[in-house]
Amino acid sequence: MGAARGRDHEGTARELRVKTMSRVRAAINSIRARLHHDEIAREVETELRFHIEMRRCANIEGGMTPDEAQRAALQSFGDFNRVKSSCCEIRRSLPFNTGLLRMGLHITIAGLAGAAALWTVNTPHHNLPSLLSQLGFVAVLTCLFVVARRNKKLHRQ
Amino acid sequence: MAKSKMGLLQGTLDMLILKALSLGTLHGYGVGQRIAQISGDALKIEEGSLYPGLYRLEQRGWVQSEWDISDNNQRAKFYKLTRAGRKQLILEEQNWERLAGATMKALRAS
Repeated sequence: MGAARGRDHEGTARELRVKTMSRVRAAINSIRARLHHDEIAREVETELRFHIEMRRCANIEGGMTPDEAQRAALQSFGDFNRVKSSCCEIRRSLPFNTGLLRMGLHITIAGLAGAAALWTVNTPHHNLPSLLSQLGFVAVLTCLFVVARRNKKLHRQ
Repeated sequence: MAKSKMGLLQGTLDMLILKALSLGTLHGYGVGQRIAQISGDALKIEEGSLYPGLYRLEQRGWVQSEWDISDNNQRAKFYKLTRAGRKQLILEEQNWERLAGATMKALRAS
């Protein structure tokens, strides 16, 4: 029984490893797609054009004229630009929910702003420039927080 | 007599792509051909819709792709099922059987 449980654990660990590796690979692909936007768009286009070309050849083999074959191939494919942009969009998206990541960022910025405010209040100020620089620091963090919140709202819309 | 083709139920395309790839490595066009072949040419799929499906599956880590040269000497992207994809296919087949069984049971009720 102990051995069976050990095998179960081993199986679960292996599954987790496979899943994690797949996610990591997908995340790397997505980062690559964000960095090399044009290259990815070209790759997608090459792939889709290959499909249409294969269909065109099959149509000609089936007895159509080259013009008919091309028209039929495009028709059976559907909206080329829509398919291309969906594929590019999917390549750019991350393979996990980014909501938690964004929430963590907001909490970190809010925490830093709070800590900076406390630090400003509790530090004795001997001159105006040092007070202004500390207040400036708090203002920058607050702005970052507001911008992050606004982005989140826009993203939801 | 001409066979009428059926439209796909939402969510079944991904399962069909996984099934097609479980039979071997294929390019996108080949996936469409294989689905037509194994369904007895009964399913109507807009060919372009295969690609967002393939990209989604790759994003989830269920298929893997690489560029290679096709039989007609052109550069093509080939897809293959990953181990995680094979497991997912088994899960989806089980879910589908349960759903189909329950629907049939409901339809046969008098």
